[in-house]
Amino acid sequence: MEELENTPEFQAAQKREFAEDLPVQALLSDVNQETVTPRRGFLKMLGFGASTLAAAACNRTPVKKAIPYLVKPEEITPGVPAFYASALPDGYSVLVKTREGRPIKIEGNPGCPVSKGGVDAIGHASVASLYDNTRLKGPKMNRTEASWDDIDQVIISQLRALDGEGKQAVILSPTIISPSTKKLIGEFIEQYPNVQHIQYDAVSQSAVWKANRQSFGKPVVPAYRFDRADVIVSIAADFLGTWISPVEYSKQYVHNRGQRALKEDKKMSRHYQFESALSMTGTNADARVPVKPSQLGLVTLALYNEVARITGGTSVQAPELPEIAAEKVKQAAKELAAAKGRSLVVCGLNDVAVQEVVNSMNVLLGSYGKTIDLENPSYQYRGDEATLSALVNRMNGGKIGALFFYGVNPVYDFPQAKAFTDALGKVKMKISFSDREDETAAYCNIIAPDHSPFESWNDYQPRADVYVVGQPTINPIFNTRQVQQGLLAWMQRGEEDYHDYIRAYWEQEVLPAAGGSRGPGDAGENWEMLLKRGFAALPPAAPAAPAFSGNISALAAEIKAAAGKQESDLELVLYQKVGLRDGRYANNPWLLEMPDPVSKVTWDNYAALSPVTAGELGLKQNDLVEVKAGGHTVELPVLIQPGQAAGTVAVALGYGRTACGKAGNGVGKNAYPFVELAGGNYRYIVPASLEKTGKTRELAQTQTHHSVEGRDVVRETTLEEYLQDNNAGSQPKHDHGQLKVDHQEDKPFYSLWDEHPKPGHHWAMAIDLNSCTGCSACIISCSLENNVPVVGRDEVRRRRDMHWIRIDRYYAVDEENPENIEVTHQPMLCQHCDHAPCETVCPVLATMHSSDGLNQMAYNRCFGTRYCANNCPYKVRRFNWFNYANNDKFEYYMNNDLGKLALNPDVVVRSRGVMEKCTFCAQRIQAGKLNAKMERRPLKDGEIETACSSSCPADAITFGDMNDPDSRVSRLLKDERTYYALEELNVQPGIGYMTRVRNKPAPEEELDHHEYYHMKEKKTHQENIYKDLLRPETY
Amino acid sequence: MHESLIRTPLVTGSPTMHDITEDICRPVEGKPTKAWWIGFVLATLGFLLWLYSVGYTMTVGIGAWGLNRTVGWAWDITSFVWWVGIGHAGTLISAILLLFRQNWRNSINRSAEAMTLFAVICAATYVVSHMGRPWLAYWIFPLPNQFGSLWVNFNSPLVWDAFAISTYFSVSLLFWYIGLLPDIASIRDRAKGLRKKVYSFFSFGWTGSIKTWQRFEAVSLILAGLATPLVLSVHTIVSMDFATSVIPGWHTTIFPPYFVAGAVFSGFAMVQTLLLIARKALKLENYITIYHIELMNIIILVTGSIVGVAYLTELFIAWYSGVEYEQYAFLNRVSGPYWWAYWSMMTCNVISPQLMWVKKLRTNLAFTFLISIVVNIGMWFERFVIIVTSLHRDFLPSSWAMFYPSLYDVGVFVGSIGLFFFLFMLFIKFLPSVAIAEVKLLLSSSSEEAKKRKAAKEGKQYEFSPEKGSVVIAATAAAARKGDDHE
Repeated sequence: MEELENTPEFQAAQKREFAEDLPVQALLSDVNQETVTPRRGFLKMLGFGASTLAAAACNRTPVKKAIPYLVKPEEITPGVPAFYASALPDGYSVLVKTREGRPIKIEGNPGCPVSKGGVDAIGHASVASLYDNTRLKGPKMNRTEASWDDIDQVIISQLRALDGEGKQAVILSPTIISPSTKKLIGEFIEQYPNVQHIQYDAVSQSAVWKANRQSFGKPVVPAYRFDRADVIVSIAADFLGTWISPVEYSKQYVHNRGQRALKEDKKMSRHYQFESALSMTGTNADARVPVKPSQLGLVTLALYNEVARITGGTSVQAPELPEIAAEKVKQAAKELAAAKGRSLVVCGLNDVAVQEVVNSMNVLLGSYGKTIDLENPSYQYRGDEATLSALVNRMNGGKIGALFFYGVNPVYDFPQAKAFTDALGKVKMKISFSDREDETAAYCNIIAPDHSPFESWNDYQPRADVYVVGQPTINPIFNTRQVQQGLLAWMQRGEEDYHDYIRAYWEQEVLPAAGGSRGPGDAGENWEMLLKRGFAALPPAAPAAPAFSGNISALAAEIKAAAGKQESDLELVLYQKVGLRDGRYANNPWLLEMPDPVSKVTWDNYAALSPVTAGELGLKQNDLVEVKAGGHTVELPVLIQPGQAAGTVAVALGYGRTACGKAGNGVGKNAYPFVELAGGNYRYIVPASLEKTGKTRELAQTQTHHSVEGRDVVRETTLEEYLQDNNAGSQPKHDHGQLKVDHQEDKPFYSLWDEHPKPGHHWAMAIDLNSCTGCSACIISCSLENNVPVVGRDEVRRRRDMHWIRIDRYYAVDEENPENIEVTHQPMLCQHCDHAPCETVCPVLATMHSSDGLNQMAYNRCFGTRYCANNCPYKVRRFNWFNYANNDKFEYYMNNDLGKLALNPDVVVRSRGVMEKCTFCAQRIQAGKLNAKMERRPLKDGEIETACSSSCPADAITFGDMNDPDSRVSRLLKDERTYYALEELNVQPGIGYMTRVRNKPAPEEELDHHEYYHMKEKKTHQENIYKDLLRPETY
Repeated sequence: MHESLIRTPLVTGSPTMHDITEDICRPVEGKPTKAWWIGFVLATLGFLLWLYSVGYTMTVGIGAWGLNRTVGWAWDITSFVWWVGIGHAGTLISAILLLFRQNWRNSINRSAEAMTLFAVICAATYVVSHMGRPWLAYWIFPLPNQFGSLWVNFNSPLVWDAFAISTYFSVSLLFWYIGLLPDIASIRDRAKGLRKKVYSFFSFGWTGSIKTWQRFEAVSLILAGLATPLVLSVHTIVSMDFATSVIPGWHTTIFPPYFVAGAVFSGFAMVQTLLLIARKALKLENYITIYHIELMNIIILVTGSIVGVAYLTELFIAWYSGVEYEQYAFLNRVSGPYWWAYWSMMTCNVISPQLMWVKKLRTNLAFTFLISIVVNIGMWFERFVIIVTSLHRDFLPSSWAMFYPSLYDVGVFVGSIGLFFFLFMLFIKFLPSVAIAEVKLLLSSSSEEAKKRKAAKEGKQYEFSPEKGSVVIAATAAAARKGDDHE
């Protein structure tokens, strides 16, 4: 109304902003600036403050746990890895990369005299075993959780009661190569004289040391020197894959066969392999002869005879061999003898008589002191399975009062498991140190879980002259206790620390001996310095050539008798796989998903049959058959294995675990019950029969086409040709001149695009196909470094394996003699093409090129059209078909809090729907560059290694800067042997491959002409003849 | 407009203008028939299957399908290209035939355009659902963003594809809807109550004045001009999804013309399928005559032959190139594990359309219907052969693998057919499936009735037999006496 009437009051009021005057003067006056707060004012403030706080507190603030360091440990800087020298249970020194106090990756320790920086797949994968959430969280007594004190009391009282009961206690373990542990067990036995220590290896090599005991009076496994051998004959010894010390042997083997040997020595060793199933070692042989298992002993005899004939030894009666084997035996013997002192015969048969003949042959060849070292023997595989069988009898006789299972699982791996479990019933107290409730632990009263090797102090003596120390790299995750600490506790020395024990042992025994040969001030004699280095090398004992003391004719008779007994239409040969070996790590998802280097099968064992035998039996790949031998039957799918001896079925041990954990339970079938105990040794060759069931089980293979179809992505030559012309075999099959600028071979290919400038670094890789043995350590190393998910059998079967690096394995089959095959391994990973076909097709630029030659993936930007994968000629891109992390369907390691600790924090875990692939370990490149930058120096060649190149036990992979003309990779890429896979596409790959050189035996005069020409013809891999058998696509 | 008598009439019988309105509006205004309900329920079930299959795939990931690390595209892109191809006939009929003044298109263009739209919608669903992270599908467009200077990759044929398909869809939609305006207005004028309100809204105030018609004609012609290059561009660009790659079997310069011909081929077959059903179900025999069917069959014959020549050329070039990968890719197509797909394609696409040379067959409705289905089966196999058999065995034999579809692959595909028919059933229920105005245009010059009248004026006797599609013009007795020709 006022507005309507427009009264003067209204007009006045409108001019003022506030209806009442603000007390400006009062506010500005001194009155309100008094320091004394009035009572009411105080109460107001208090009330307001308290209620605001209360209101704010109503909202739950999310708690984000960052790095929980109240006091930051000196050695840990968040984001910066710390490396510790430690060791693997195999006795190799390694460097363990830890981030924020947790081990995430294993690197080889280049100084380690045994491994020389190599780590095998099992070693790399062991990190997953540490973070396996099937591990026991604490000790158990009679199936319920118990305290360590209670357990100690019970055990001590039982140990004390043994005397009264007139019973014995036994510590059952595999070969122990820890000197401190051996000493401690010795002291334990001193205190409790009723305790006995029995060592047995689930997969035994005991014939080796037993034969040496017989032949030379030295019960040792010798150290072999493949690097000194120019001629190697292996009789069923998978020395690159599973036999005794494969990492050590791989390094040695490649020393004589890789780029260095070819370029500098202008030679490479010649490797003959006589074997039944195709082993990884067999795939690398220059001449491989498939022989029925029962004949392997006879091959040894024949070889001995030939060697003896040339070198003047006593020959023995030996039956005739099949023609091809006999030819090759003659040839091998001739070459062995010609390279006297530079030759080596090894044998993987667990048969003392055969091993003794091999010993005698090596004596004739002068190998001892040169390629075989008996004076500095290996300490691995010193178990004796005969004692285990004796133990069962004693258990049945009620003689055993307590049984300690330390690192063994006889209920699973003892061939007569039933007999063993029955006998266990007669043992009052059974104590398992297993880290999980495994098959044996299920029968035990007490489970006292051991630390993981990552959580404990260890020392190892893999060879007489090498000591390795393993330091813990993480605090024990669970309430576990190291076995040695337990032994100390039961010796009433509980307050003594095992670390101190090891240290004392080393300071008294090892360091003085090791330091003796080194000058004062050298790193050898100080414990702290030792921990930094990880190992101590003793001065090796002088080599000696022992005399052979055995009755060779008696041995020959024995071998013939054994062969007669083993001979049958179908012979079963039991072997170990490179990934799973004896089954100890069967719950390791990485190892289960690692494609077998030969068959490329994951997540299963199978009955491998030669194509000929399968054809005769009317069996196809994936047919389920019952394998029957010695009263035991298992149902296994058939795998057609070219190169396997006809009349043989090969089944891998180490599968069929029933209580190892979620990932490994029920994977494959247990083949241990097939193992026979003969003459105190496990025999892995038994007569068998097969029965078709009519059912099928599709094997999850990562490669189903096995012939390279004559394509020159794999190039090879022979040593003979290579020496004549270093370019031999590395040139493309087709003349590419027409495709090149001005039609000149030395010019680049015509291109639509202008070349990008390549300033600074240009990362590249060289892969020597002649060094790669196919061992697949790189696959596991890469998976760990880059958080590659494990996807499980079903997904692999659908061809959705996620490995960023794979090893393509191609067979070339001799059409005349289908058993005679040649194998090539080709590691295949993102080629980081400079003209990458994947990059042009991505609609959203999620994959692009970096200025330093990397083909990069921006996962965040990818929305998953998969065009890049389709357009990749190498098919190395991997798509996240599902969410592999936090998905119950893929409960392998990315799905529980513990398993996630194995993830590399430097690499993102990819979500579903995005593409991923090899990055050339971009995070390592970045770390290396930053490191150099902070130290204000240029990068050094070799400073940055990718996970695959650093892990390769064969040094087949070289990574570096192509723009640096002096880098190793630049020099290798310029080598005559180097070629690029699919170079004619002009994608300009950043990975050069170096030809495979085969040192094929020159054809003998006696060799018939037909075969000679055939070998000549078969220079490149040609079509294979098993089209219907080898290609599961067609059925 | 002058039209020769001997041209086959495009409207048979003797409907009046009003009859046409009545005939075409009947399905829209009347209660749905039983046949419609059956079709609609089946289509809806298919649509629900699609919803479930796509929903599941989007929830768990593309792993639900049978793809693997070697074969990254299979049923998804096969069906995508198939649907896009089918979508070609609509624009071809409406745009190119309009420009070429092929008046016979007037009675079929409406449903052909609708079919185009629905086929492109089906194709577009594949674009989204085949993605690993479909919720980010909008990244394909060069939208302003907060990711810094992040742009799309203009080198990628998938980006071109997104532009091509979206342009095609919008132009087709516009063209179709503009054409619908007078007909919606017709329905509006006949409707009452709520229907009237709804149709009033969608008729955008159509008045029917001369000026409106004039503008309508102008807009139609402009849009036809705009849409014409799209007919060629869309499938050219789709073919570049393959042609620009390095994969043997994809990396071919013949793809653009070959794909366009294939698209027209499959599109006409699909139009044929739909029209034969609609003609029968909606009793539109007078407007969609045997003559229409025959003309479309001829186009099927021509494009089928082009496609056949393309297939043979591919084989020849593979041999002639001397590239072992190329040679193997084609050898593998013909004789590899997917030989049955190749030979299904050859039989359906090359051999069966050749039967159209026989007039008796190409004017036979049952046979035409059969061939139209066979052609689309063949065209699906063509894309399957190109995509899967090229991918499954490319350069490195180590990676060779087989593709086996999962149930979800099948579900999404069958479901997309359901989605298509779901939309199509709604279309024929709520919108006139034949362009009323355009058919009326024919009535004065190109209908049987008009021709009879014209003939009578010229003193000739006009006879037309719809079954044979033959026209007999005889001089009447009087004219004969004058010595006029007998045609």
